[in-house]
Amino acid sequence: MVAPALELRNVVRRFGSVVAVNDVSLSVARGEFLTLLGPSGSGKTSTLRLIGGFEDLNSGAILIDGQRIDHLPAYQRDTATIFQSGALFPHKTVAENVAYGLRMRKVAPPDMERRIAEALDVVRLRGFEQRYPAQLSGGQKQRVALARSLAVRPAILLFDEPLSALDLSLRLQLRAEIKRLHDELRFTAIYVTHDQGEAMAMSSRVAVMNSGRIEQVDAPEKIFHAPASEFVYTFIGESCCLPVEVGPSGVADKSGALLPLHLGQSQPTGKSRLYVRPSRFRLAAEAAALPNRLRARVHFIEFLGDVYRYHLKAGALELAADHPGAIGVKAGEEIDVGWRNEDMSVFR
Amino acid sequence: MTAVASESEATFAAQRQAELRRRALAPWILMLPALLIVVIFFGLPMLLMARMSFNLHIDQRLYVPGFTFEHYVNLFSNPLFTNAIWTTVQLSVLASLATVFIGYVFAMLVWLKPPRWRLLMIGLALCPLLISEIAIIFGWWMFFPKNGLLSFALLSSGLISDKISLMYTEFAAFIGLIYVTLPFCFFILLSIFDGLDKRLLEASADLGASPVTTFREVLLPLTWTGILVAFSQSFIWTIGTYATPSALGPDTLWTMGFLIQEQMLGKHNWPMASAFAAVLVIGVACVMAITRSMQSKRTAFHA
Amino acid sequence: MPEAAIRRSAEPFLFRTLAIAFTVFIVGYILVPILVTLVMSFNDAAMIRFPITVWSLRWYADFFGSAQWTDALRNSIVIAAGTAVISTSAGILCAWAFQRFPIPGRDALYVLIMLPLFMPGVVLGLGVAIAFGGLSIGGYSFYGSRAMVMLAHSLWAMPLVFMLMEATFRTVDNRIVEASYDLGGGPVRTFFEIVLPMVSTGIVSSLLFAFVISLNEFVMALFLTDRDTQTLPVLMWLSLRSAGTPRLAVASVILALTVFACLSLIMLWYIRQLRKVSQ
Repeated sequence: MVAPALELRNVVRRFGSVVAVNDVSLSVARGEFLTLLGPSGSGKTSTLRLIGGFEDLNSGAILIDGQRIDHLPAYQRDTATIFQSGALFPHKTVAENVAYGLRMRKVAPPDMERRIAEALDVVRLRGFEQRYPAQLSGGQKQRVALARSLAVRPAILLFDEPLSALDLSLRLQLRAEIKRLHDELRFTAIYVTHDQGEAMAMSSRVAVMNSGRIEQVDAPEKIFHAPASEFVYTFIGESCCLPVEVGPSGVADKSGALLPLHLGQSQPTGKSRLYVRPSRFRLAAEAAALPNRLRARVHFIEFLGDVYRYHLKAGALELAADHPGAIGVKAGEEIDVGWRNEDMSVFR
Repeated sequence: MTAVASESEATFAAQRQAELRRRALAPWILMLPALLIVVIFFGLPMLLMARMSFNLHIDQRLYVPGFTFEHYVNLFSNPLFTNAIWTTVQLSVLASLATVFIGYVFAMLVWLKPPRWRLLMIGLALCPLLISEIAIIFGWWMFFPKNGLLSFALLSSGLISDKISLMYTEFAAFIGLIYVTLPFCFFILLSIFDGLDKRLLEASADLGASPVTTFREVLLPLTWTGILVAFSQSFIWTIGTYATPSALGPDTLWTMGFLIQEQMLGKHNWPMASAFAAVLVIGVACVMAITRSMQSKRTAFHA
Repeated sequence: MPEAAIRRSAEPFLFRTLAIAFTVFIVGYILVPILVTLVMSFNDAAMIRFPITVWSLRWYADFFGSAQWTDALRNSIVIAAGTAVISTSAGILCAWAFQRFPIPGRDALYVLIMLPLFMPGVVLGLGVAIAFGGLSIGGYSFYGSRAMVMLAHSLWAMPLVFMLMEATFRTVDNRIVEASYDLGGGPVRTFFEIVLPMVSTGIVSSLLFAFVISLNEFVMALFLTDRDTQTLPVLMWLSLRSAGTPRLAVASVILALTVFACLSLIMLWYIRQLRKVSQ
């Protein structure tokens, strides 16, 4: 049996009375690209810093290739971090920056030259060797940081929101580049971000974190289509929440008024929250054949480019439904909205 | 299997302990040179000095081990010494008030003036800091006496008809003292002014306040902390100095610093010098503590 | 009402006049003792007397011809350089500890380290003289030695360096330090190869401050030196007490020139540094 490249066992990190990382366990296989996704303050960055050795854990264990490393200082761990700001050494040239980690690992000079060249090739920065960080653009800096970490061939690459300081087009470009590098080099990576697009696009698996805990670890498709918790559902993608109460006489909204709502599958009585993504609603004639239907009034309509978004109201419920074209209803008119059973998630 | 696991667990725990110990030790190793300097060359001498102040002084020997309050009693009963303390405090308060006033106006002008003047003025204010006190003393020493520049300038401009000398007067000592402490006050106050928004003045003028009202109602309250710090800095400096007042002032101007030096190097009375120094240190500490508490009260009020 | 209007129009004029008067006063005040000294150093006569009638470099030649005075200058420079090295290295290490590590009793230690800076020179000189007056190590008399004066001067210079470097270290991006650890650079190597180069301006300023403080200081030095280790300011002080001659003016000018020479060197270095980064 091969030990996982990285394993966290019941890791806890407290800051005073705040539990930043609460009993996190995680196992990452070699060559995997795992993203820690969560809102700010969810503990994802703390988790990464624990792995890198920049924080001390209060209890639990961290193993790389089956060896415990949580007692080792950062400079004795076989990890390399790409920081948000790049964190290049400002007084060293690009080549010297990349060489630094190799020198620390006592790589022989001829070998070192080759590895610096390789690393800069990989991030397409050949010819920039003698520049100083101040002479580089934001994207170039981040690529140097990437080359610097790749050059030492660490067991684990750690990404600490490396793209969040860049503007959108650059972010998309570098995102694709990191993805390409991972496909080519098959390094093991832990990537921290609060951007779900980044997480979905790059990862083999995504771990969604919330208030210090991991809510779900799964492939991106699973996370999106089969969220394990209400938090994951609402955090990933857009969603509409329909808070309802199922009673003997039908389905009511929170004020107790009965709703013109027909559900395909019977729900247990009591309060529950139904979730549907706006893109999964069908309107008017398309709704008729669907198992779940609701008669709602159009509140207002937004044009979003690809789609029209219909903001609808039914009793105390408010929902937004996307439709690829105008359907000729105006605000104030009533309309049918429907959805399939598999597009609805129910939490109570 | 379990034996192996628990054994590796034990070595792991030991390694972890060692790492934690190493990390706890690191700051102390870094601080060691600084702490050695402070403890050996400041802490120890202060303790020995405190002890020395209780030793006996007999037969013109430097000191004789013993225990007596004689020197402290002497310090506060002998009119020679009480006068010196009183003179020093008076001189320091007056000089510090004048320094703060001049420094305040200077800093305010630099703050208000266009930036191109700024660097020049700051360079000017740096001069007294970069030039040795002894060189400045000598400069005044050539300026004030009968054959000095001041007398010559006044004479040749026809303002006076006979040579005058301001040398060895309290005025000369005063001028010399202010000169040395001025840059400290200036820079403290300038940093306070730089923290203020100049639009405050426009806003106040907009509301119909005259410049005097603006100063009293806006500038003064906002710079009060700086004034306090500048005053205490300058007071601490002047109360301990002895070279300038003793070189420029009259022979009768005996300050505490002068007496310490006199007792130590002239009279070879180490216990007396130590007692004097101890009183000086306590005075300085009190001024610092008072300033601090006034400062924190003010900031608490603002918060 | 017209009275108020008159007052209002007169006010700016009044304030401007006052401002100009004050500026003239402060410029004169600061420059007078400096210029008097500079001018007097070129006097040919043996007496301090205005007006100066004959100009010459006679007193400069006299200064450099006198072993006593050149020795004092050399002592001053050696002691100042020693103080600069001692207090800068100790102050930097200590500031780094404060920046990087959680220290128990941090505030108390801070006060302890800063305290000597607020002590009068006469007290520090007296204290050190009492404590180490009779001390000799292996036949080498510590009292009166240059090392003694360097360490005493460090009591003022080191807290200043500490304060300056503490502020400088706060500007260092912590992630760059972490990046170095991350790539395998140990704490010692990170400190010397990554941290120090990033704060080089602060280090150079610290060296300058410490050097200038020690070069100009003479109260502690007066208590702690003997005839052989006398610094230039001490010699100046002692000869001012006996008789003032233009030789003292020359000594003042040379002391000031030493300071300004260091200052210019550092300015040059700083400009070169700026150019290197911005090219």
